[in-house]
Formats: sequence, C-alpha cells, structure tokens
Amino acid sequence: MKRFLLACLLATPFVVVHAEPEDPWLVLQKAARAAHDLSYKGVFIYQSGDNIKSVQITHTNSGQGEYARMVVLDGTPREVLSQGGDVVIFSSKNEKVIMEKRRAHNLFPAVLPDDMELLKASYQARIGGTERIAGRDGRVVFLDPRDSLRYAYKFWADREYGLLLKSLMLNDQKQMLEQMAFSQVNMMEDQGMDWFHPNVDHNKHYILEEAHAQPAQEAVSSWTVGALPAGYRKVEQVTRLVPGKSAPVTQVIFTDGLASVSLFIEPLSKGIRPKIGQTSKGATHFYANVSKGYQILVVGEVPAATVAQIGSAVSFK
Amino acid sequence: MKSQISALMDGDIALEDAEYLYTTLKSGGESAQAWSDYHLIGDAMRGNPVFKPDFTERLLASLEDEPVLLVPAVKRKQAMLKSSKLWSVAASVSAVVFVGWVVLQQQVQSGLEDDATPMEIAQSLPSDYWLAHQSQASNNSAYYIQPANYAE
Repeated sequence: MKRFLLACLLATPFVVVHAEPEDPWLVLQKAARAAHDLSYKGVFIYQSGDNIKSVQITHTNSGQGEYARMVVLDGTPREVLSQGGDVVIFSSKNEKVIMEKRRAHNLFPAVLPDDMELLKASYQARIGGTERIAGRDGRVVFLDPRDSLRYAYKFWADREYGLLLKSLMLNDQKQMLEQMAFSQVNMMEDQGMDWFHPNVDHNKHYILEEAHAQPAQEAVSSWTVGALPAGYRKVEQVTRLVPGKSAPVTQVIFTDGLASVSLFIEPLSKGIRPKIGQTSKGATHFYANVSKGYQILVVGEVPAATVAQIGSAVSFK
Repeated sequence: MKSQISALMDGDIALEDAEYLYTTLKSGGESAQAWSDYHLIGDAMRGNPVFKPDFTERLLASLEDEPVLLVPAVKRKQAMLKSSKLWSVAASVSAVVFVGWVVLQQQVQSGLEDDATPMEIAQSLPSDYWLAHQSQASNNSAYYIQPANYAE
C-alpha cells in the first residue's frame, strides 16, 4: 500500500507537465506585471488617426518603487515624470511651461489592469503566433469583445520578459483606432537616478496648474444612472468647478477594465447653448442631451452605442 | 553629483556632510542647476507652488541665516526636515495660474448668438469636455502624449 501511494505521488507531476498551449490570460497577466516591475528604456510610437508621436520612455523599479520619465519627441515639447502613482506633466505653451499634477495612470506599456478578472466578463482572449517587434519576439494575444459595446485589441508581449511590445485598438471593421508600439526597447541595469529630472528651460516660466476636479461628496443628487451597458462599472465621481458656470459640473467615470467613459451632468446655465446629438472623432464618441433642465454629455473611447446607452440611463427624480 | 543633491534635498545626508556640495552650489554652475531642476519636480509632486528662477539664491540665503548647530548629523537631519526650511522657501514664492478649462470655456462662450436653442454637437466638438474626460480617465494615453486641447 505504501509503495502504491508513493508511486501515485511520484506519478502525479508527470500527468500535469504536458506541452499545453499558452494561456492568453497568463500572457496578459505577465505583461501587466512586467510593465511595473521591470526597468527598461526605449522609444515607442503612438498613433491615433493622423496623429503620430514618438515617445522616449525610461522606467525603473529597483525594489524602491517605480520611476518613469516620458519625453514626447515630436511637436510641442512635452514630458511626463512619474513616481509611483504621482504624475507630473510638463508641457510647453509659448513662453510658459505648464506643470500638471495627476494621480495614477495607465500609460503604455502599462495599459493592462492588474486584475485580469475585470476583463474576462467583457472580452475573450485568444493566443496568436509570434511576430517580431522592435527586434524582439512578441507573442500575439487577441482580446475580442463579447459584444458591440467595446473595441477589440491585439497585444504583442515580449516572449522573454513579458513586457508589452505593441498594443493595437481596432473597431468592428478591423480598422486601427489607436496604436502604441516600441520601435526600440532595452532592459536596463541600475543606472542611478540622474536621468530622473525634466529638461528645464530657464528662460521660461514654470506654472503649476491648479487642480480642477475634487472628489464628489456623496450629497443627495437629483439624478441617478440606471442600467449601465454590460461590463461597465462606475469607478470615480468628481466635481469640477468651472469658471463662468454658476453650478459645479459632475463627472462620473465608468470603465470595463480597458475602455473608459465620462458622464458629465450640470444644470443648464444662461449664456451657454444646450448641446444635443452625437458625434465622433477617431475612436472617441460623444453623446449630448438635455433633460429636466440639465445638460448631459457623455465622452469615451468606445463605440457610439455605449455612450448613447450611458446617456440614456440618466434619470431625474 | 546630482544624486547627492537629491539625497541632500530628501534629508538623507546632512548639510555638513556635504560641505563641498554647498560650496559648489554657492559658486553656481551645473550643480546649482541640478538642484533647481530637482526642486521643480519634487515641488510639483507635493503640489507646492512653483519656484522663480532665482530661488537657489533665496535658498542659500536662508541657509546662511540659520545658526550653526553642533548636534549629531541624524538630529540635524531631523531638525532640517521638521523645520521644513526648504519647503517654507518654496511656499513663499507663488505663481499659480488658472489655465486649461478657463481658456477653453472663454472660447466656447465667445461664439454665441442665440443661447436658448439647442446646438448639435456635431457642429462643434465639445473639446472642453473631451479634455476633462482625458485628464480624469486613467487609461488614456492620449492625455499624456497629445491631449485634445493641444491639437496642432
């Protein structure tokens, strides 16, 4: 009997170890972690419609948190420095440089959420072949939407390090909406922190932009959002004080884990024409309507049906 | 040199342990530049108001005003952090300006004829809302690379 048990114990591992196909979710999971955990340096191309920009990125994590610097190489000088969840954007505007403070971001290659479970309800993952990107072998993973309320994605993850080499967003006609791809990327040994500073132009004035949005206090609101499009959930609600407007504007943010939508609600004010209808620009769709003396406006990098559905879900008491 | 400056700023090394740094800073040049660059980042991250270009001089002036303390380096470091000499220098200079939405809002308002009839958004893209969406939605790379209001 003892011998039989021992035989069973020894035998079990061999049953599991089989050349099984790679799990696409595990590839994505590894890519999500790699973007935060690894130290890398490279140049990626961002493309959305006619707009193409090269961005130089340096990202380190030597166990003491994440530091990153991104420099937009084309057009208006613009750079982003981040330390953990704190982000500062430096953008040149004439003789000034505007500094903007932000919290947490999902900039390429860190576009995937940490928790893949958030995506499984809305997307189907499928493993593809191996394609060469930026001189590296990339494992292809397709993320197809389960309905028409979101776009499709194609990702290329480095076969050695897991890092995303390329990310592509496609509409239902398989047309490219947004693309980010490394043209060159290298893993970095410890380089010290000398690189972590913005390029300062001492002839310019540096201006810190005031924060516009405050977390909304859960006051009694006169409206509610009914049934959301499948897979979307509310992640944030803020109040924006807009000069020239008598009442604050409420902004509610929804996400399905990858795509995000903003809903704006504000009382109609004199001197500002109410907006209605639908329009789009690239991957971004807009929906506007007026109800019970309120302006409703929805914006998001999602199909037209999604913004319309969220806009129509708002009801007033 | 730069990493030593940042260590000094973060209070990781005491001022007297970096006397040569202090001397170099006083004489200006690259180190002084690095010092002010570093401050610019740290300050923006803490949300403090911004320095004017001459703040290195102000900082040095305020450091010279401080009496020489004969205490161990660790205590000195704590005192330096507590008294927030560096940060109070920062706070004394303010140059905060309201931009972004204000500018856009004015543009939107200037083209009005009749403010009661609804307007089709297809006629004019609501770029102020688009920008607000981009800035708040965390998974929006466009905001960092090419936000709606920076269209060239």
